[in-house]
Amino acid sequence: MNRGAMIILLLLLLGHLLLPAPAASAAASPAAPQHILLLYDSLAIGTGKEGNVAELQRLLAAYSTQVTLKNISGYEQGSMAAYSGVITVINNAELEITNKAYLQDSASYQGPMLNVGYHPPDRLKEALQLTTAVWHGATASLSIGGFSGIPLEVEEMPYIAASQGGRTYGGWSFEDGGVQVPYAVSSSALAYVPYLKQGDFSALAMAYVLKDWLHSSILPRMYLVLKEIYPFSDLDLLERAADRLYQSGIPFIASVRPVFGNTDFPAMKRYLAALNTVQARNGSIVVNAPAVRPPISSNDHTLRGKMNSFINVLAEGGVAPLGIAAEGYWTYDKEYSTAGMGFFDSALLYPDEEARYMERADTSAVFPSTLYSLPLELLQGISRTGRVMPELPLNAAVTIDLPEDKDALEDMMQRLDGEWFTFADYKQSAHRVSTDRYTVQSADGVIQINGKELNIDYTPQAVASDYQYQEKQATSFNKLFSVQNQFFIIVILVALLLFGGLLTIGYRLYRRKYLK
Amino acid sequence: MIDNPLKTSTRPNVMLAAFRITPAYAAAFGVMLVTVIALFTAPYVGMADNGDFFRIIYSNGLYFNLPDYDSRYFGYFVRQFGIFQYYNENSSMLVSSQSLFIKLAIFINQLIFSREVFDIRFQAAIYTLLYVMAVYLLVEAMTCRMSRKRGMLVALLAVFIFGDTGYTAYFNSFFGESVVMVMMLLLFASWLLLCRNRYNDFVMLAVFLVSTLILTTSKQQNAPVGMVVSVLSVSLLWIRRDKLFRWITLLSAALMLFAGIATYLNISKEFVNINQYHAMTRGVLMQSENPELALDAFGINEQYAILKSNTYYDQYGTVDVKSDLLEREFYSRYGFVSILKYYVTHPDQLGSILDTAAKSAYTIKPAAMGNYEMSAGKAFRAQSHFFTLYSTLKEKLAPHTFGFILLWMAVVTGVCMPSFVGAVRSRDYRRMQRMFLIVAAMLVGLSGIVVSIIGAGDADIAKHEFLFTLSFDLVTLLTVSSAIGRGLSSGKPVPAAPPALPSKEYAALPEGVSL
Repeated sequence: MNRGAMIILLLLLLGHLLLPAPAASAAASPAAPQHILLLYDSLAIGTGKEGNVAELQRLLAAYSTQVTLKNISGYEQGSMAAYSGVITVINNAELEITNKAYLQDSASYQGPMLNVGYHPPDRLKEALQLTTAVWHGATASLSIGGFSGIPLEVEEMPYIAASQGGRTYGGWSFEDGGVQVPYAVSSSALAYVPYLKQGDFSALAMAYVLKDWLHSSILPRMYLVLKEIYPFSDLDLLERAADRLYQSGIPFIASVRPVFGNTDFPAMKRYLAALNTVQARNGSIVVNAPAVRPPISSNDHTLRGKMNSFINVLAEGGVAPLGIAAEGYWTYDKEYSTAGMGFFDSALLYPDEEARYMERADTSAVFPSTLYSLPLELLQGISRTGRVMPELPLNAAVTIDLPEDKDALEDMMQRLDGEWFTFADYKQSAHRVSTDRYTVQSADGVIQINGKELNIDYTPQAVASDYQYQEKQATSFNKLFSVQNQFFIIVILVALLLFGGLLTIGYRLYRRKYLK
Repeated sequence: MIDNPLKTSTRPNVMLAAFRITPAYAAAFGVMLVTVIALFTAPYVGMADNGDFFRIIYSNGLYFNLPDYDSRYFGYFVRQFGIFQYYNENSSMLVSSQSLFIKLAIFINQLIFSREVFDIRFQAAIYTLLYVMAVYLLVEAMTCRMSRKRGMLVALLAVFIFGDTGYTAYFNSFFGESVVMVMMLLLFASWLLLCRNRYNDFVMLAVFLVSTLILTTSKQQNAPVGMVVSVLSVSLLWIRRDKLFRWITLLSAALMLFAGIATYLNISKEFVNINQYHAMTRGVLMQSENPELALDAFGINEQYAILKSNTYYDQYGTVDVKSDLLEREFYSRYGFVSILKYYVTHPDQLGSILDTAAKSAYTIKPAAMGNYEMSAGKAFRAQSHFFTLYSTLKEKLAPHTFGFILLWMAVVTGVCMPSFVGAVRSRDYRRMQRMFLIVAAMLVGLSGIVVSIIGAGDADIAKHEFLFTLSFDLVTLLTVSSAIGRGLSSGKPVPAAPPALPSKEYAALPEGVSL
């Protein structure tokens, strides 16, 4: 081998050693989230279906998919191709879709498509030999997964009257018991769900369909979340609730309200002490999103600083927040999702109570770990095949408000004991929170703050009550002025006595001289 | 029926180019000139929105038609708004007499300018017209028994004070202060004119009644105005002996009282909560050395001390200010009376919060809001300094303590007392009115301070105390004008109007005598 060939060989070897292998690098990076286009004809405001689009958004978030939400009328030709799947929700039975761009693109789209509601497209009808009808009764029973015969109130419910060749999900049984139809049907990349309502079991049934449609490989877990925890909640009761759950072997998440000022007050110290106790009782802490006023100006960019400061206060106090809990719309707001949720890689999404956007976005923010929340009442007493609560198809947070008194606490414990839930410990999974000063991480039940393992044991300490709320103004010559005060008080008293005496003498002289 | 013998015959007026210039004309013209230059010539002076406009304009059929309106909050005055072209579902958001002026302005705007776009200068023109009339009446009342020379000095002072654009900039805004200003001036002027027996008593009484009613119902915090004025105006019963006048006066007083009570009862739940929240978080908790003990006194969980200094309008907070939790555990535990009781039992804190109030008591135009349009190219929140010497001096020079307010009240009352005692001795009910008017104006001003402090803490205090700063100026100008006219206590007693042959006595009054 000549010298030139040797040099080339050495350079190649060096290059091979220094440059990472492209295939290995790609395998090591986390997979990009799926990006779904969610189209709707109407948000069904004022009808029974109001909120079903938001519910779908929350369900999709729980599978860590990114969603772009658009009205069908605003769909632009060719944009469908950029997404990994398309979901169309048709809430209005009477209006025809007139957007030709959408009709053409959806007819030729080769990716996964899911249709919800009325008017499934012809392509779907042909593929599944689908026939639909509308149920005009007031109730129907739904069975899916390990759940069976769950009675739901419905109105004008479209359903699958017949289909062939596809996979079916669950089933409806109508009130006369005579008709049994599937809840949903799918065939390869196409799926159809005729009915979805916010806040009832049909939303959970949708989760089963989505899991398959999105090819999700998550191992679903269920968590218990205590919410409505404020610094002015009954903190003794919070500690008692944590004790009771700990004794019952139930791990839980406490969704705690943030405090953005006066964090040096004794009231805040007591709040932190209570959260430390919660943490010591196997409770995990997530920061609840702050209460938001309807924004009058989009110029308020104080959220990032406030959240950063509160997380720092928690971390300094030995409390390790592992995620953020917020209403679902927060992920569709540029300001809230970045300045408010940007510190966290884990989120817990509540249903929207009142959306107060600061800077609304079409596309959602994605979190590697997202929990879908549902109230305990939804699962309580639900009919199921076994005694144990069946596993849900997605990571779910069963929420319950912090009890207001001891009786309510006992009631909560009884409800939890009676339902045979299997709750997971939130800190067993990986979470990461980063601020300018602290990085909080959890994995396999171990919490670290700035790389140091956090000892969650906590011995309650009394909070000093001699806090100085108002700074004492700096004063000089205190002693001198104090002596001076006393001196003048004596002088004035003496002077008053003297004047009194003189007046008395004068009056007597006056009487003697003139009144005799 | 009415003896009104004075007219202008007691004062030598000047004939200038066949036009008689009285101090009242001069003052009115001066104020109009300054106001027109400031509000109607570029760069237009106005007030930026602090977020309050939507409540009053949406219920009156206007909307924000600028796509970037959000970015102008606090920073820039906005001149044009959209007029709803369809059913307005916001019609019942806020009940205020201010709506009368906005509706009138919209009507004129639609007749002359546009049916889709509202230019706020139409509203400013209405207010300016009324304001100039009010200034005329005020200066006329103050100078009608003065020599022209002295009258002109008072007129100059009136222009200096009431021409200040700190006051008039409110006309180019939807703040209720513009109505307050015009109506307070009319109220003061009409009462003083009744005292001076100038113009027809019935007409003046009508002006007095209407201005009080509009003033009282313009803002919820003005509810005490109706009550204070109605009680003190009962003294007007005796200025004439005819039954008709007395019945009308009594009815007017009753109406004013009713307006005050109705305004108070009409305060919406949200306003109650806003003020109640601030009364605790920006009042009691701010002043207390130990907020936890203060909360304990109200039976509220001590943990609420965390809310100290928070405002209802904070964009992000620990708790929703409209939540059931606060309703149950916080708002329901205290009210105006319990806070008043708390301050009475903690005089050190009362003194402290009154001093806090006094710091903003001499501010006419809050610095938080800009005065120029964005197109004027000025900085965000830029303030106009055109004809603002008085407001600037007042803010800088007035001692910002409540003690000074008390001292001012004592001095003014003391200065007017000899005249009042003389009037009482001679049973001259008309001359007594000056003291009643001064006391009423002081109480109205004080009510502005006390209501805002007890009812809403120090939140938005500079704007809440507008009524005080205006009353201060009116009373001070009246006192100074009396001094200028050398009539503080040396004036001859003037009998109430019908009693004894007033015309000759009035005619015989020497020059430069003020009542």
